[in-house]
Amino acid sequence: MKLDRRTFIKGAGAGTAGCALAALPGSIAALGSVSVKGSETSIASSCEMCSTRCPISARVVNGKNVSILGNKKAKSFGGAVCARGGAGHSLLYDKQRIVKPLKRVGERGEGKWAEIEWDEAYRLIAENLNKIKAKHGAESVAFSSKSGSLEGHLFHLAKTFGSPNTFTHASTCPAGYVVAAKAIFGGKIKRDLSNSKYIINFGHNLYEGINMSETRGMMNAQMEKGAKLVVFEPRFSIVADKADEWYAIKPGTDVAVALAICHTLINDDLYDKDFVAQYVEGFDEFAKEVKNYTPEWAEAISDVPAEDIRRITHEYAAAAPHALVDFGHRSSFTTEEFEMRRALYAANVLVGNIERKGGLYFGKKASSYNKYAGEKVAPTLSKPGVKDLPKIDAKRIDMVDEQYSLLWSSGGIYQTILDATLEAVPYQLHGWVMSRTNPMQTMTDRARIVESMQKLDFVVACDLYITESAAYADVFLPESTYLERDEEIKDKSGKNPAYYVRQRVVDTIGDTKPSWQIWKEVADKLGLGEYFPWENMQTLQMFQVNKDVSLLDKIKNDGWVSYGKPLMLREPGMVNTFVAEYPNAISPDEDKTYASHLSFKTPSGKIELSSNKVEKMAPGRGVIKYREVTMKKADELFFIQGKVAVHTNGATQNVPMLASLMSDNALWIHPITAGHMGISSGDKIRIYNDTGSEEGHALVTPGIRPDTVFAYMGCGSKNKELARATGKGIHCGNLLPHVTSPVTGMNLHTTGVKIAKI
Amino acid sequence: MTKRYVLVHDENKCIGCQACNVACRSENNVPESVTRIQVRVEGPYGNFPNLHFKYNRVSCEQCEDAPCVKVCPTGAAYVNDDGIVSINEKKCVGCLYCVAACPYKVRFINPETRVPDKCDFCKESRLARGEDPACVSVCPTQALAFGDANDSTSEVSQLLDTKNHYQHKVNLGTKPRVYRIPSRKGGIKV
Repeated sequence: MKLDRRTFIKGAGAGTAGCALAALPGSIAALGSVSVKGSETSIASSCEMCSTRCPISARVVNGKNVSILGNKKAKSFGGAVCARGGAGHSLLYDKQRIVKPLKRVGERGEGKWAEIEWDEAYRLIAENLNKIKAKHGAESVAFSSKSGSLEGHLFHLAKTFGSPNTFTHASTCPAGYVVAAKAIFGGKIKRDLSNSKYIINFGHNLYEGINMSETRGMMNAQMEKGAKLVVFEPRFSIVADKADEWYAIKPGTDVAVALAICHTLINDDLYDKDFVAQYVEGFDEFAKEVKNYTPEWAEAISDVPAEDIRRITHEYAAAAPHALVDFGHRSSFTTEEFEMRRALYAANVLVGNIERKGGLYFGKKASSYNKYAGEKVAPTLSKPGVKDLPKIDAKRIDMVDEQYSLLWSSGGIYQTILDATLEAVPYQLHGWVMSRTNPMQTMTDRARIVESMQKLDFVVACDLYITESAAYADVFLPESTYLERDEEIKDKSGKNPAYYVRQRVVDTIGDTKPSWQIWKEVADKLGLGEYFPWENMQTLQMFQVNKDVSLLDKIKNDGWVSYGKPLMLREPGMVNTFVAEYPNAISPDEDKTYASHLSFKTPSGKIELSSNKVEKMAPGRGVIKYREVTMKKADELFFIQGKVAVHTNGATQNVPMLASLMSDNALWIHPITAGHMGISSGDKIRIYNDTGSEEGHALVTPGIRPDTVFAYMGCGSKNKELARATGKGIHCGNLLPHVTSPVTGMNLHTTGVKIAKI
Repeated sequence: MTKRYVLVHDENKCIGCQACNVACRSENNVPESVTRIQVRVEGPYGNFPNLHFKYNRVSCEQCEDAPCVKVCPTGAAYVNDDGIVSINEKKCVGCLYCVAACPYKVRFINPETRVPDKCDFCKESRLARGEDPACVSVCPTQALAFGDANDSTSEVSQLLDTKNHYQHKVNLGTKPRVYRIPSRKGGIKV
């Protein structure tokens, strides 16, 4: 599209469908005409349209547009980008994007804003935060950020300010599998989908919630290598469609099927006894517990036929160790999240697929890889340490309960910000600084978030748009998009070490700044500048590479660099290739692997199928156990949500190109259920429960269980600033109750709803 | 004809993610209100739980015997010697015969240029630079293959030689050059 003023005006009609708004203060529209200046030759960078950070190659085309393609140097990404990635430029110069700092001039959330200069924004923040600190202590300000490349800069600010209360979106999304992995393996583990011959999947919909390398890996395994895919999911999703077998499992009962798989592996003598003997702690307690979890027992709970569970388990064991049970990704389906993820891991451990092709494995960063190789195959990066940071005595607001201690270093229990604000538990919060995070969409019980925001003394939001959450801020700080900023070098090691970097492709539009700079300048104003000794991103990058200019040049030129050959410690072929490549490599064991070097950072140094540590933290949860949960009332339908390929959670609904592709999320209802209520596709309906009420449209489809309804998450925004997204579709967060699952600290994403035709 | 450019869409690999749609828009400056390609995820068909989706690529079929070319009174619509159905903007008088004649309903008037528009395999941009069409380059699951079917060593030739495939509306005799590998579940059974 030509970016002169005429086409901007013309585009307005199509893009906002009748929302003839006056230009929002601080928006690109308010700025007048915009041109895109930047590199006309391709720059290697990384995407930020979701959190996967795929390597991209981008250039400005004739000053009009930005061409964004994948970076072919990153082989597992194959030079591909998804729809969100390809639409990056549509976000860049969207006339609704905010490019000037704003302050609230009406009531909080009322939508009245005034443009201000950065200096005034910083002054307002410093005055208010210092006032709160003096009166109530620094710990009464919470800091939350989108997980990702720049979160560290905000959290560093929090530390220097003196608050321990830093949060990512972990407890609203990935904490479950991370916490469970910590308990069992002592740390994060990855899945080698691309080499797997048999994949059992519990609704991890990699074909809609696209993670490029994993999505490609799974498709490659399925189509080129003949892997079998079995999917258990209440909805007929794209991954269910691509599966060899799909079972419309009852919502929230994954744990029963996973435990029945474990039962069958042990009971039918299909498990890897040598592996268990060498690496596993707590097997006997686990085996004793799962003795009762027969496939027949699971069938009664989950609606998955027992004979299928048994057959699938036998097929899975036959394909092992090149087979895996996908441990999933987002969302806590039930309060038994911790047991569910652990049961999924257990089904992998029992077949001994750890560090085997097609199984699970640990990332091989440069330091450990080099140790195996006996030489410096990959460079290691340095971290700038800042000395004499103020000591923080206050306890985190989510650390009142020992059972959550596995979580906090991974992001914390985000929703405790609301508890502390509304109920002063464990103490009263007074301020909230948020960066690229939209809890109104990703957390539960939206009304409670509004209430919290209204109660706080001071709220700061740093974002690209005035998101639903940012709409309640006192000061809005406009961040540069990823196409306009440089960042630190990041580690993306898989089976071998790899680094990548984000680089600026276009000149900054309007008056925005990268958030690393914003938080550094806020620190200056707060009088904390001494703790930010780096001048800019270049000095930070130079520090990372230990002043090795040629290394920095290489990383910047290629955007993605990887070193060495893929290595999995228990895979003889890989170890063989590795040893042949590096003459000084550690000698393999007798079985021609590095199996004896495999260790785990758990208290026992082994894989803990049952854990004393967990038992102490959360009595009764040391052993993986099934507990019945109540998800809904008898007269309600299960309400579940999921991701769609063209949007990222609650972040991209206002991006013009993506809003054109999808701006509404109809509620999927089975024909029988819809028939009882006289509902047809397209009918306007009300969806309600004790938490909230939403209006939306029905999509009558056989692709959902009759007792369940489904909506893609992220739609139905309620603040007027997101003009393309507001009022379109169902706001899921407004229907989900405030419930936190034990140990993982995650909020709950399955509940019950009633439906009425309107 | 020296080259016979064709596109093969493997419906097994396609996940309907619209990466192709977006990449095409960006590469070819396609206005918001119109589209050169999209993949329609249709269905699910069948009876619960034996369901399947259809992944239907909707774009110019690059017909060998193209109705849009036949009806064009000025020769603005033509087939090049690479087999790509093309438009000479200078010769177009805006009569819309081509839009009406297309049995696949994939021609449209570009609201900005006022000229009939459609997929041209990115021939003036990417193809001219020796690159694959945008949709093929970005496809996350490598569901698309593009190349010269006259070259027996090309990926497309090998796909067409080894995989069961079909074309849309062959009964019309238009000989489309978009080939589709049917999904195991929903497609043509051999």
